[in-house]
Amino acid sequence: MSLLKKIILPLNLKLIALEVLLRRLLIGFVALIVLIFLLCIATLCFGAVNIPFADVVQALFSPGADVSSNILWNLRIPKMIAAVLAGASLAVSGLSLQTVFRNPLAGPFVLGISSGASLGVALALLAGIGFGSVGVLGSAALGALLVTLVVMFAATRFAQTGVLLIVGLLTGYFIDSIVSVLIAGNSSESLRVYVAWGMGSFGRVTLGDVWMFVAAVVVGMVLIGVSLRYLNAALLGDDFAHGLGLNVKRSKICVLLGASLLAGATTAFCGPVAFIGIAVPHLAYLLFKTTNHRVLLPGAALCGVALALLAGLFPASVPLNAVLSLVGVPVIMWVLVRGSGARM
Amino acid sequence: MSDLKNSPFLLECKDLLVGYGSVLSTMSVPFDFSLSAGTVVALMGENGCGKSSLLKTFAGLLSPVAGTVSLGGKLLAEWLPRDRAKMISLVRMSSAEPPRMSVSEFVRLGRSPYSGIFDSRTDEDKRIVEESMALLDVVNFANRPIAELSDGERSRVFLAEAVAQQVKVLLLDEPNAFLDIPRSHALFRLLKKIATERDMGIIVSTHSVEYAERYCDRIMVVNGGAVRVAPANDARKSGLLDWTEAFDVK
Repeated sequence: MSLLKKIILPLNLKLIALEVLLRRLLIGFVALIVLIFLLCIATLCFGAVNIPFADVVQALFSPGADVSSNILWNLRIPKMIAAVLAGASLAVSGLSLQTVFRNPLAGPFVLGISSGASLGVALALLAGIGFGSVGVLGSAALGALLVTLVVMFAATRFAQTGVLLIVGLLTGYFIDSIVSVLIAGNSSESLRVYVAWGMGSFGRVTLGDVWMFVAAVVVGMVLIGVSLRYLNAALLGDDFAHGLGLNVKRSKICVLLGASLLAGATTAFCGPVAFIGIAVPHLAYLLFKTTNHRVLLPGAALCGVALALLAGLFPASVPLNAVLSLVGVPVIMWVLVRGSGARM
Repeated sequence: MSDLKNSPFLLECKDLLVGYGSVLSTMSVPFDFSLSAGTVVALMGENGCGKSSLLKTFAGLLSPVAGTVSLGGKLLAEWLPRDRAKMISLVRMSSAEPPRMSVSEFVRLGRSPYSGIFDSRTDEDKRIVEESMALLDVVNFANRPIAELSDGERSRVFLAEAVAQQVKVLLLDEPNAFLDIPRSHALFRLLKKIATERDMGIIVSTHSVEYAERYCDRIMVVNGGAVRVAPANDARKSGLLDWTEAFDVK
């Protein structure tokens, strides 16, 4: 009996586990990619003016001077790219922050990174510092970076991640109140622009400046990608990661920098987009049932892309954040309560 | 590996003083110690005497306040972190427990020092992980979350991770703190077994004189600010364990 237990049972379990795992991975990734593809087509076809699929294909491969090509290349394609970049960025940013802080509530909003970007935009629009769209983008990125530097400074001073979370939260509150003061003392046209920006939208990116968004996202993804080994170990704490031969401080800074770059760029281009950063990592876990970031990071990125595209399909008159929260919150709550995901 | 041949000891310290920053722990007398392959050393002392700080210093988590620690004949501070992780591991039963991580995912982390930048695993890695899990008999619950394990199961899983890491020096911080008597015996027998079979040096902190005397080769005692070491079968005679019965409740 003991021989049976020692030889046959492990082999059996191993095979079953491997098969289940592989099937789950395969189905998960294929399903997500198909879903994203369909959502991309829907994004290109539907909107204020619906364009038939055949016309979309024609406009894609041989753009003319007609209305369809015009709408497609000037509005729909930039919007699609923005949704894809924002969804992936926020999901990856949220997941890596949750892992580093070992807190299921962490995310770009909780750490004040999104608030930092908002401050940058508010200063540019309301206080008149910075000019034009590049000025707004630049100051948003600067604001996000500023908060990240504060949090990173705290990271080098304090080892406990809990302290960092508090520093991030407090910084966020502090910045939000500065923005409130700016808003209170303002009644101009720029206030309307700022409020509109604050609603969040994927429709503001143009083909002309999308390359900046792409570049920021690529750099952010690389910074987090090279920290995979740390992210997997970080779940067990910094001492454990040290024991596995990781340079904890350097890795942590690398991840924080990457996460804030992703969140900062997204906030600059699309406004503060809530919800994806904090919720999608949990969705990805429920789908893939693993803590291995080699699977979880791309999985979360794809989930984020799908969710962002889906939210972008709603009419432009409905604020993006309202859509994400109205549709997303009940779904996530249901999934968390029903599934084993209630376990953080 | 050539470094190993220069020194007969896996782990060695000279004139060591341990503490946080420049604050000394209760140890105030510099001491020498060396650990050879195939031996298990019990680390004993009252609560708060600095056992954990000492283990952390050996693992490189704390810098020595004074003196030196060498691993395989080379100063600990001179090791590349990744190479050090292939040589020494500190196992603490109180590590954070990510609620979603399964046993096999956790043991798999033991191969992290050997992996590339994207943390992949070779077939060789997978074989070693399976071997370690089999050695510590944790295969039956390979897919359960570590947070849901009993204390006995968890201590074996933590050991399996360290075994998968293929270290030469294993430091254990009170591995039997939450274990019942039969499981503690089993654990110490296992430590003795892996030390001899794998030519490892093990330092295990414990409050149990019985396990220290029965299963360990030497006993290291932190008491009254000094660190003293004696062969396990000689410790009682030489008065090394007198402190264990010297405490009266007034």
